[in-house]
Amino acid sequence: MDLQSNNPNDHGRNEQIVSQFLLKSLHIVLDSRIPSIRPSGGRRGNLSLGSQVKKSDKWFNLALGERPTALDSLNFWHRNLMEPMIIDIILVQEMPATAALGRNECTTSGYGLLVETLVERWVVQYESARTSHQLTESSVPYKKTYKKSIILLRSLYTMMRLLPAYRAYRKLSISTKACDFDINYKVSSFSAPFTRTEEQAMKQYSFFPVEAQNGRLSISVKYRESLADFNLETSTSFPPEIITDYVGSPATDPFRAFPMMDKGVHATSFPAREMQSPTSAPPQRPHSWTSGLSRGAPFTHNQSFGSPPAHRSSTGRYDISSSPTDVYGQRTQNYRPPTHHRGTSFDDYQLSPPFSPSPSPSPPTYISGGNYMQSRLRSETAPVSIPNPMIIRSPRYLSPNLSDPNRHSLPPPSPRSTRYELSSHESPSGIRSLKKSEMSKVGDLSSGSGSANQYSSHKVSRDNKDDSGRFSGLLSSSGSPRIGFSRSSSRLSLQDELDDIDFSCPFIVDDVDTCESPVSRSVGGKQGRELSSHAKKSQDAAVGALVRMLRTAPPLRQDSSCYSLSDGLEGEFNTASGFFIARKTSDALEELKAYRDMKDLILSKSGTRLVSKQEL
Amino acid sequence: MNGEVCQLKELDVEYFEIREVLRCILHTIFFHRALGLVRPKDIDLELFEITYHTHHCRLALRKIAENSYMYVQCGDAELEKKVDEKIDQFIDKVEKHPNKKNQICLSFFEVKNKQQTWFTNKVEHLYWEHWYINLNVAQHPKAHSGKSHHSKLVVDPGESASEERNARRATLESSLHEVLFQIIKFVNEKKDHIPPIPSMEGVSFPYEIIISSSSDSAFGMDMFKRMLQTGHPTMLS
Repeated sequence: MDLQSNNPNDHGRNEQIVSQFLLKSLHIVLDSRIPSIRPSGGRRGNLSLGSQVKKSDKWFNLALGERPTALDSLNFWHRNLMEPMIIDIILVQEMPATAALGRNECTTSGYGLLVETLVERWVVQYESARTSHQLTESSVPYKKTYKKSIILLRSLYTMMRLLPAYRAYRKLSISTKACDFDINYKVSSFSAPFTRTEEQAMKQYSFFPVEAQNGRLSISVKYRESLADFNLETSTSFPPEIITDYVGSPATDPFRAFPMMDKGVHATSFPAREMQSPTSAPPQRPHSWTSGLSRGAPFTHNQSFGSPPAHRSSTGRYDISSSPTDVYGQRTQNYRPPTHHRGTSFDDYQLSPPFSPSPSPSPPTYISGGNYMQSRLRSETAPVSIPNPMIIRSPRYLSPNLSDPNRHSLPPPSPRSTRYELSSHESPSGIRSLKKSEMSKVGDLSSGSGSANQYSSHKVSRDNKDDSGRFSGLLSSSGSPRIGFSRSSSRLSLQDELDDIDFSCPFIVDDVDTCESPVSRSVGGKQGRELSSHAKKSQDAAVGALVRMLRTAPPLRQDSSCYSLSDGLEGEFNTASGFFIARKTSDALEELKAYRDMKDLILSKSGTRLVSKQEL
Repeated sequence: MNGEVCQLKELDVEYFEIREVLRCILHTIFFHRALGLVRPKDIDLELFEITYHTHHCRLALRKIAENSYMYVQCGDAELEKKVDEKIDQFIDKVEKHPNKKNQICLSFFEVKNKQQTWFTNKVEHLYWEHWYINLNVAQHPKAHSGKSHHSKLVVDPGESASEERNARRATLESSLHEVLFQIIKFVNEKKDHIPPIPSMEGVSFPYEIIISSSSDSAFGMDMFKRMLQTGHPTMLS
């Protein structure tokens, strides 16, 4: 850093490139392994480039969507650019207590052992030329570094999809049923070396490094060759069929990005965050569909891990998702750098890294790169002293209840007029039988599950193309309750008759309906009070719980005739009710999308038939 | 031939697998060569999800097959269209000339200013990279794909046929895997030859795709023509 033959500006730029490289690679890894990490909760695969790409996302010309909050914490603890960034991808499985395998870490849950196995370890490092004893030219132009990093990150992105763990991720993210496993992550700057048995099971791949000033950027991975041992199966109650002419599949239809929220403050400790969520201003609605476990607190320090279980016990697994709400909301703010886009075109490369305005040439090396982010963070967060080395661990594995049937007794804030029926008897089959006409018969659907109604309302609202961006659902079995979500996407637009949603859920981004009223609605359901008391705490959890509710909702009708458009599925849906107990919000979100698409498809195909069925 | 050359490992494919395999490989290469801002698009390689092809109009959630596969597109619709067109051409060619070995050559070049040469005033293409995708098409497209399966099913109770099919598919999958690894390795090791980026839209560099097969008489001509066009490769970096 000190032996610069280049001008200080270049040094600062180099630092910025390096730090952004670390962030981007972390983003790529987490994005491809942790389904719940995505703030918008959906796949972004088909988002067109037309939609605005944030400046921070333009780094390395790879737009990935909103950064997970985990990246926020990276600024805090990864102060020394020369330290490696080690990302561990951990497979968490719940095993019956009797089947204690000799795997890594086991924590007890109420239902069995949580077995964690490290399936991948990514090491991203800016190796100093001095330490690596390389004869690196000290004057590698940062433009060249940038260009080569672009390619390296593309390869990283591709590689993420080639390694065995990707399938686990896919199962997790696409499956709408409860999986018997989960994926967790841990980011740190040091790592315990592998045991011999682990080493034997791991294969290594190293990317060709990219030369940078005074060093090189390297990425390497150790991964388990085969995950067949883990029997990563989801409960297969559905026929392995697929619709090729589907309107939109849950896998490919991206969720609309949630609007950016600025929650202002996010605490890094778990309980603190929990407490802050309820007090955050309603208009700022972070959103997350994630299961919350892995999303929970990537940036909490170790000490905060003590608290979550206690917290969790009362609110269930999805409560954790509440914590990142403010973080997520804030994240977008953090990563929206001021307009300082360098209009300069490089002589050679025409690649213009979106540098921050004033790269500082001097150490601390990190400041120039992370400067604007840190300053924003500081202004918005309570400073946290983080022990070094920092281990960022998503608290997912701490959750005792991977499949807690009562987990849905979570605090989704209930809308004013809604009643929650979170009882586990609600079968998810109702969810699937959404049709638009059903929505209009809201009142008639009293016998059905609230969740079914909810989904159908989602679909209907989508039709309405209401740009308020909310969709609402009926929640209770009585058919009257409604839950409203807001989204920036016009696809999930609010239905006219359901616009009095007072759901303080993170998805309501609309100014029109900003769910200010606290959730202390009478929900009518048995858990209504419980919900309302928690609602403020966790908007994210609210959403998660809502989704869960939907999933576990009992069938809309007792007769299954109106359930599915395809008769063959009825049986599966009904029998699948028992499997919908513990699902993730991301799954729920995807399911929502699926239903919405289903609805469109159905509508397009046979509108009258649906209507007639509804009359039953 | 000038420029860096990457010969990808040969793949044994069946006729109906050509499209997906080529899409996968080409898009992976393009993803690494579209250096402008892209929003990557994950594409399922439905090839290996055997049950999917024949079912329609079913409302169901996708079951992720054990061997489901993904590749990444750079999200450029025009590119997708061009790639598909080329693949169609390739498939046509394979149908008409059922040769064993077929090759697609994807070349990136630089456009140099027009030069007044003694025989032509063409724009010079300076090739800086060639990718050779080698496919062995296992069966004759029309005659075999339907018949052989059918006959297999008739002769065998179906189990061994499907086992064989699964084995072959597993082999193809791992070979495809290797090819993609190959691409990643090549793309990362050789970066110095990449010229300045002319366009930030879509695939940043001009490219061409040439289809040839081993018995193609024009095969050699293509190479020769290209040799005439390219000058000495300058190491641009």
